[in-house]
Amino acid sequence: MSEAIIFTLLAAVVVIPALLVVTLKNVFHSALWLIVSLTGIGGLYVMLAADFLFAVQLLVYAGGIMVVLLFVILLSGKPEDWKVAQVNDKAVAAFLFSLFFVFIIATTLFGWQIKTTLQEPRLTTGPLGQLLMNQMVLPFEAISLVLLVSLVGALLFTVKKKS
Amino acid sequence: MIGLKHYLILSAVLFSIGLFGVLARRNIIGLLMSIEILFNAAALNFVAFNRYVHPSMLWGQGFALFIITLAAAEAVVGLALVLAIYRGTKTVLTERYNILKG
Repeated sequence: MSEAIIFTLLAAVVVIPALLVVTLKNVFHSALWLIVSLTGIGGLYVMLAADFLFAVQLLVYAGGIMVVLLFVILLSGKPEDWKVAQVNDKAVAAFLFSLFFVFIIATTLFGWQIKTTLQEPRLTTGPLGQLLMNQMVLPFEAISLVLLVSLVGALLFTVKKKS
Repeated sequence: MIGLKHYLILSAVLFSIGLFGVLARRNIIGLLMSIEILFNAAALNFVAFNRYVHPSMLWGQGFALFIITLAAAEAVVGLALVLAIYRGTKTVLTERYNILKG
């Protein structure tokens, strides 16, 4: 029972700020609400017994990405950009499509039978490290390369050219 | 009792919110934030399936970790592109980004 209460609270903490993120006029406020939403996702990771992912979610998302995002919001854009309408003229169609998407997924899930098994939660940091260094070592190295290339790419795009 | 389907429904709702943001948002940075919501919905699905279908393995969590890493790389490159475009066009509204129209 308490699990259901915690799940409902976390779902509200995730969904309501996410709605505010896509509807608020002020992008800075949107970014601050996005931090709340991402932290709520971290709480859901804890409920799913993924303790290492919770730490990574807080460190990388709520800590790293959001700081970069807030910097870019402050570096670009004028305050009058935040006063105009924030959705384009396709907003109604986009809203209906999103609603349709949820409806399709929900009706599909309703008639879906899947066998679930539950285990006692255990600490995942050590086993996850073993997995990353043994079976998943190829994607792990690939993702390192992607990170390096994105770093170099970001530098390439932001450095001013002297011509 | 909270089961797998609760998480899947929540993830679908989150995904559709992000989808609405990507389709309808005018501000380019708001669009990037909506993409972050999409990434999170996908990662939540991975972890929920890991917990409820194969709890003895950790592959779902490993892939969620990769999604978070890719999201970080995407955010860095995307925001650098936003800054580069903003320097040229002096606007953050996506419908003004029509400089390729000739």
